[in-house]
Amino acid sequence: MDPYSALDPAGTPAALSLRLFYGYLDVSAVVFTLVIAALGFALGRPRQPAADYQEASPAIERSKSRAVVWATVATVLTLLGLLIASVATGHAMALLPAEPPVRVQVISHKWWWEFRYPVSGSATQFSTAYELHIPVARPIQLELVATDVIHSFWVPSLSGKRDAIPGKHNVLFLQADRPGRYEGQCAEFCGTQHANMRFLVVAERPDQFVAWRDHQLASPPPPSDPLRQRGLEVFMNSRCSSCHAIAGTDAFATVGPDLTHLGARRRLAMGTLENDSTHLSHWIEDPQAAKPGVQMPSTPLSPEDRHALVAYLEGLK
Amino acid sequence: MYQLGNRARPRRRSRRLVSFPSWFVTFAVWAAAAGCQKHVEVAPKAERAIPASGSAVSARPDSASDDGQWTMPAKDFENTRFSSLEQISTGNVKQLRLVWTRSTGVKRGHEAAPLAVGDSLFVVTPYPNHLLAFDLKAPGSAPKWEYVPETNPAAQGVACCDVVNRGAAYWDGRVYFNTLDAQTVAVDATSGRELWRVKLGEVNRGETMTMAPLVVKGQVLVGNSGGEMGVRGWLTALDAATGKINWRAWSTGPDADVLIGPDFKPFYQSERGQDLGVSTWPVEQWKIGGGNVWGFVSYDPTLDLIYYGTANPGPWNPQGRPGANKWTAGIFARRPDDGRAVWFYQWNPHDVFDHDGINENVLFDMTFGAQQRRVLAHADRNGYLYILDRVSGEVLSATPFGPITSSRGVDLKTGELQLVSEMIPQLGRVTRNICPAAPGAKDWQPMAFSPKTGLLYIPHQNLCMDEEGLEANYIAGTPYVGAAVRYRPGPGGNLGVLSAWDPARAAARWTLKEPFPVWSGALATAGGLVFYGTMDGWFKAVDANDGHLLWKFKTDSGVISQPITYRGPDGKQYIALLDGVGGWAGAAVAANLDARDQSAANGFVYPMADLKNATKRGGAVYVFALP
Amino acid sequence: MERLIFALFLVIIAAAAGCRREQRRFSEAPEASELHPDPLHAAQRDQQNLERYAKDAWAISEGQRLYGQMNCAGCHGHGGGGGMAPPLMDSQWLYGSGLRDIERTILSGSARGMPAFKDRLTRQQVWQLVGYVRSLSGNAPSSAAPVRDDHMSVRPPPSRTDPEPPTQQVD
Repeated sequence: MDPYSALDPAGTPAALSLRLFYGYLDVSAVVFTLVIAALGFALGRPRQPAADYQEASPAIERSKSRAVVWATVATVLTLLGLLIASVATGHAMALLPAEPPVRVQVISHKWWWEFRYPVSGSATQFSTAYELHIPVARPIQLELVATDVIHSFWVPSLSGKRDAIPGKHNVLFLQADRPGRYEGQCAEFCGTQHANMRFLVVAERPDQFVAWRDHQLASPPPPSDPLRQRGLEVFMNSRCSSCHAIAGTDAFATVGPDLTHLGARRRLAMGTLENDSTHLSHWIEDPQAAKPGVQMPSTPLSPEDRHALVAYLEGLK
Repeated sequence: MYQLGNRARPRRRSRRLVSFPSWFVTFAVWAAAAGCQKHVEVAPKAERAIPASGSAVSARPDSASDDGQWTMPAKDFENTRFSSLEQISTGNVKQLRLVWTRSTGVKRGHEAAPLAVGDSLFVVTPYPNHLLAFDLKAPGSAPKWEYVPETNPAAQGVACCDVVNRGAAYWDGRVYFNTLDAQTVAVDATSGRELWRVKLGEVNRGETMTMAPLVVKGQVLVGNSGGEMGVRGWLTALDAATGKINWRAWSTGPDADVLIGPDFKPFYQSERGQDLGVSTWPVEQWKIGGGNVWGFVSYDPTLDLIYYGTANPGPWNPQGRPGANKWTAGIFARRPDDGRAVWFYQWNPHDVFDHDGINENVLFDMTFGAQQRRVLAHADRNGYLYILDRVSGEVLSATPFGPITSSRGVDLKTGELQLVSEMIPQLGRVTRNICPAAPGAKDWQPMAFSPKTGLLYIPHQNLCMDEEGLEANYIAGTPYVGAAVRYRPGPGGNLGVLSAWDPARAAARWTLKEPFPVWSGALATAGGLVFYGTMDGWFKAVDANDGHLLWKFKTDSGVISQPITYRGPDGKQYIALLDGVGGWAGAAVAANLDARDQSAANGFVYPMADLKNATKRGGAVYVFALP
Repeated sequence: MERLIFALFLVIIAAAAGCRREQRRFSEAPEASELHPDPLHAAQRDQQNLERYAKDAWAISEGQRLYGQMNCAGCHGHGGGGGMAPPLMDSQWLYGSGLRDIERTILSGSARGMPAFKDRLTRQQVWQLVGYVRSLSGNAPSSAAPVRDDHMSVRPPPSRTDPEPPTQQVD
């Protein structure tokens, strides 16, 4: 199973879209074959010598016209069929779901994805980055918001692309039919690091999803060992808290991704790095080396401070 | 059949009268115009509880007879700002003349009310918050002493709305006031010696104090400022003799912090529940949620309840803080002994316009329906004049006193403000013509109530705004706002208004227009007069019944303070006033800001561009009397 | 004739290639950070960087982004008109108008309440901000000054602002 392929759909909208794709492909293949065959015949048939050229008889003229007419009719009918198929698929993909969807707000920044989960029935909401967790077999309603430039939300295995446009709220419905991890990508050029603006959709069983969501709502306990305590001090006293928030501390900044449960994320830097101490340390020291142009600056820290900070962050499970 | 190459014939133009492209364009334009939002009519309309005929406003409950002093910020616990001194009256006020004037030595916005106690006059200046005492028996009322508190100058950089101070309070031989860097001070009124000084907040986190304390049952009640800086609000009671903290009521957070317990019986369903100060916020956001207490406190000795409002939730941009955001932008009624909450009503649940709820609550009695009710009147930022039953917290009426496009009214069954959803500021979009603007139809400037006329005299403004929502980033000690705003005058073109409001009829009896917002307090006297000051420096006396201008005086700088009246040692009636333009409305002059940026000072510089021509910075005490 | 035009085309391309209007320096060399100070050359190096950034369109646009994100706009106004803090778009400079003066003010704050950003921003971010702050009074080269942006228009963009000569010495 390829988690990044539109040819391997794991959800209804993607499946519908793939079916349409195959429909178009088949029809196009047939038409292509016929046209090439006709062209080949036209090019390859024996020619009459020029001297023997004579005006075609009216009968032949008529049959030529009839052929053109029939070909035109066939083309129009084929195109009409394709149009109907396309409209019907679009209609099916845009149908509002029968059961209440799980709502998630997708906020796109340069060059990272923020996912904000409201909890229905209360004002509580939490914010996370890179990983979009959804329960399987339930419709998900995504509200797409862009904070700076136009981005586009695209998970090939689950759905088609939908733009996130500043000043506008676009809605996308998707649904995963089987559990798994599906890669996503920004699909509208948005600047230097557009190519590395990826995210991961994790479709899991409903009970796993609820457990994950409740865990995200909980603040991590304050660090107990001296190394991680030092790391928290470094976090609060250096530039980190100007841009990042960690629930349970005095850091509430929203410029960069929320780091409350950073240790539990599968990858860093929107999928470009593995999530382990070495990579995190390199990332903090010089993000520009991994992703030149990204908005996080290189933060000068002593190796001991950086070590403590990494230990603290990796412990935020 | 067809020939390529040069064509002899030119292309034929379409013969139809209306060709396809032009038809399409016309249709598209029509469709776009039809889809455009209609200009929202600025027409005040709201739910009105029509009082039964014959309702009347009765005189305030019998309290201590007027001793001719002014010892509390708002004259009395009920915040009436009414004096029963009547030597100066409509008949003779045109003879009123300046008796003495002295510079305070500070040239920023002077919002305080002087205090007249015995033979002394006390004045708190804006930062550096000197306390000046004048001897009213001495010739020219010479200064007696000057107390200079030890303060942190960094507080100036985190004060949202000029470095103002709204005045002191006197009790039991001591003068109490707050300093900008969040300290409360008690000074001996005779000698000027500091008795105690308590630090209550952190300037590094953007916390300041500007409000005037109220002394109730031997406790000094003070509140903090900083709603634009992500500071969590509170009201604290300090022991008047020692300065020890007796209790603190936070404005957000768990019930234990907000002092909500079994005595808490709010009138409306929406205020009932467990730990609403946490659950009506996203995770942890209540810690930087605002709800500051920078307005005036009222007290009803019979019911033993203090009343005060909480300020806006932070940040201005509401996108990041879904939920009602309790207990911001509302009014608390608490027991002064231990601060426990008795009821609460939220003027602006999930406030989206920076409509703080701190405006003063004036207490009086009124016939409503067929009954005599104990009420409070409150002119909120959101443009409604509320009459609440001050026993239970029920909203008896909410009537617009200025133009409103941002809401449709107050549902009296649920108590909820009905917002117009298209007016809510959005990220990445400009919402236009929101009335009233962020400073509201009325800001802190306190109104006066005259039991003789039964009218409320409301100084206020007429502003509408455009707002764009922006990402709000929290960094401790820096602004936490998330909006760019631009103001313009509301309908009529005048920026300022003084309204005489009849609570019995829920309508204005008369209004006076002013070119600039009327940012000063009002004073009502039994002589049938209402005093107020304008930002271009006119101190005026008008007839309390019909608003006729009877007297005016030109001060050297604009007036934004609270005028008072008192009986001097010689038995004559005096009027005292501070001048010195500034405050949020006057920041353009006080802080020399640039009106080319329409968003400067959170919007208040641009509509006031003419103020620089009308007045300059200053700061002085003025005292008037009849010859 | 075609050869002449082609030659002219090549010359223009070559000239444009030399233009450094928008050179993106994503990170500075390690010795520019305060962890490895080199006092002998630090001042000179910082001055060079400040001057370079003040002429660079990308650096100024990053400064514009930081001006909003780091809440400078909240005190100094979205267009630099002031508020809790003095205006940045006029000719009055309380703590000096030179590039080094502005850098020092941002790093150390002021006694009257400007917070110190030394521990909140990197040096490179401060240089980007210095460039932007200068542009608010029209004192950035027109090739680098910010143009009209996508926000509510509260003032003419710096690229269309006449330079306000500072009333103090300029570096």
